[in-house]
Amino acid sequence: MDRRTFLKASGAATLLAPSLIREALAAKELPLVAVAEGSDYPAITRRAINAVGGMKRFVKPGDVVVVKPNMGWDRSTELAANTHPQVVRAVVEECLAAGARKVKVFDNTCNDARRCYVNSGIENALKGMKNVECKQLEPERFRKITLNGQFLKEWELYDEALSANVYINVPVAKHHELSKLTLGLKNVMGIMGGKRGYVHRNLDTALADVNAHVKTHLTVIDATRILTKHGPQGGNIADVKVLNKVIASTDTVAADAFATTLFGLKPADIPVTVAAYKRGLGEMNLDKIRVVKA
Amino acid sequence: MKFTPSRICQLIFLALFLVLFIQTEYRGRDEINAAVNAFFRVNPLVLFSYLFAAKSWTWLLLPAVLMVAATLLLGRFFCGWICPLGTILDLVTPRIGKSAPIKAFKGNIKYWLLLPLLSASLFNLNLSGLLDPIAILLRGLTFLFYPLMGLGAREGWVGVYRLIGERRDVVAPAYNLIRENLLPFRDTIYPLAFLSAAVLLGIIALERFETRNWCRNLCPLGTLLGWLGRFSPFNRVPKGLCGDCGQCRELCPTSFDGDLLLKEECVLCMECQQGCPHGRITFTPSLKLKLGGPLLPERRLLLGGMATGLLLAIPARFRHPEQESRLLRPPGVRSEDEFLKKCVRCGECMKVCLKNALYPAAYQAGIEGIYTPLVIPRLGYCEYDCTLCGQVCPTGAIPALPVAAKRREVIGKAVFDKNHCLPFARKIDCIVCEEHCPIAEKAIRSRAVTVIGLDGVSRVVKEPYIVEEICNGCGICENVCPLETRSGIEVFAVKNRTPIPEQQVVSDVHSHGGYP
Repeated sequence: MDRRTFLKASGAATLLAPSLIREALAAKELPLVAVAEGSDYPAITRRAINAVGGMKRFVKPGDVVVVKPNMGWDRSTELAANTHPQVVRAVVEECLAAGARKVKVFDNTCNDARRCYVNSGIENALKGMKNVECKQLEPERFRKITLNGQFLKEWELYDEALSANVYINVPVAKHHELSKLTLGLKNVMGIMGGKRGYVHRNLDTALADVNAHVKTHLTVIDATRILTKHGPQGGNIADVKVLNKVIASTDTVAADAFATTLFGLKPADIPVTVAAYKRGLGEMNLDKIRVVKA
Repeated sequence: MKFTPSRICQLIFLALFLVLFIQTEYRGRDEINAAVNAFFRVNPLVLFSYLFAAKSWTWLLLPAVLMVAATLLLGRFFCGWICPLGTILDLVTPRIGKSAPIKAFKGNIKYWLLLPLLSASLFNLNLSGLLDPIAILLRGLTFLFYPLMGLGAREGWVGVYRLIGERRDVVAPAYNLIRENLLPFRDTIYPLAFLSAAVLLGIIALERFETRNWCRNLCPLGTLLGWLGRFSPFNRVPKGLCGDCGQCRELCPTSFDGDLLLKEECVLCMECQQGCPHGRITFTPSLKLKLGGPLLPERRLLLGGMATGLLLAIPARFRHPEQESRLLRPPGVRSEDEFLKKCVRCGECMKVCLKNALYPAAYQAGIEGIYTPLVIPRLGYCEYDCTLCGQVCPTGAIPALPVAAKRREVIGKAVFDKNHCLPFARKIDCIVCEEHCPIAEKAIRSRAVTVIGLDGVSRVVKEPYIVEEICNGCGICENVCPLETRSGIEVFAVKNRTPIPEQQVVSDVHSHGGYP
């Protein structure tokens, strides 16, 4: 090797090295998705969380934690339009056990907030728990946030969700006519204010824009029962399929990608997932995701 | 203030009225057991105008029949013991200096109000609620004072947040307690707020001239009760002022213009009995019915009242056809005519409406329909599983229905405006309306259509369409439509409001229909 070739080679190596190293590291640490199955919903929720490192990995003593379920609709638990109250409660209990100072549970609902909080069963499931707040949103807490996204330059987001030490996303897996499915990435709409319907005109990009801004520490997808049709609010028990599964991951895109398979679809079928993956928000290729049974 | 038995009773009923008023709101339960409608269900003016106009019977108004019986027996006690507006007048009137009574009020003007109202009811125009004292009070509170209180409290609370931010949480439990038990859930601004408040304040302002001015000289409910009370066997003894004293004139709030007690104006407050320095006064029953005068002060009143009612009833019915297409009534109202005959215009449905879908009609429904509830979907929609308006309606003009039945009741039908709706007008995705449609089988569906975008690029968009057979017109689609201008979908009134079938199978040719 002459000097010239050496220089060329070493130059190329220097240029390539970071990406090579990153790839090598990534290969070592594939995003982990834990799936727990069983009819004891609090237990499977705990198992799934423990399989991705346990709540202590995310919640430190004294933290303020936001647990963000989907409780956007005035529908009862069994209709699968809202996150199962037992799953929410189990997540909240884990946060408290890890030493959380306060756990806040809320959602920007589509139907009347009072009815959604009551009839989803979530408000009642959390009643009487110490240091837990299940409070309807207060409009003054929305802040206009500069997102500089590809579609949304700025949008109103809920201050309490942004200022918390830990943000845990607890969606329910459902059909959606426009986005095909609504999972973890779409659940972020519950901290968005303003006339949210606006984002439907470019939903995939808009959700990537917002998700890129909101740091989600843990995503727990409730697939205890899923809504396969007439989502996202359903209303007919015939459209509900009981799967008795809970999925947990630190990578929302990976969690969504796996949850997609529960509907017999591929992650690439869901434009929201694809847009987030392309934005570098997580992994959607199932062969690059480590799925463990918890 | 002396706490006579009647005054204590008045205060209890005023408190009850206010408590029930505040209870007339969703507070976490689907049923409201006790609402302020109780005050209308015991109201004989509501009873008679309902019976005359609807020409049918409802058990909801049985308490009013009992009130008629009680008044026939005891006299006009409602005004002195129960009426919350009367109580408010009694409470404020000592603070208002009096000039001389208004002369024009001293004729038979009260009969000229009552009789045309009742006779118009016979001709299907039921406007008694416009002058009913309970309704006037309730509308003033509902449309102006209560929202104002809510707005004030909220603004203050937001102000604290602007000042001290998150630290406000320390006092949040106290505020939440007030919010949950006292304040309106949402700050709503109603049309006719000023008119409603002006009428109420006007009645209070009338106290400038004499005590209980409204009650004695105008109030149609009081006039009706007074007229019924004349048949009561209880008579005050002595009938008039005693030659040696005359204290009664000072004590009596209503009925001593001359030297004789006017039985139809006596509200049985018993002030004279309590205050008589000689202990002479009793209210004793006598079996002999003595009317003390003709049935009506003037014979032409009956004929004139009837004629006036007829004259009112016909022209008041004028309606602009264009506005008619947006006359959306609360769920369960199937016939506009029947609804107008039964509606008291008390405003309770609008107060209780969960999503503030209901507003009082100002001009939209003609003179005949003033203050009747209208659904304005762009401001609020009818929540699918809510049945509160039917529960609080005092006359059943909005029927009380179980949830399953109410869901199927047709308010109107939604129609797309393709000049506005995004997938049609701008060839981009949206279908927010489809997402929110609460019908389980979806009355709004979509089909994937390949279109040439406005940028010239071919793409697939989801075009929404309506399955009219199962649309109940709840209006959530129009409410959530993200267009800032006019909504791309609007609900229009329909004549045929037959409920949508219980199980409707509408073939699903376009929607991809979910996953196995």
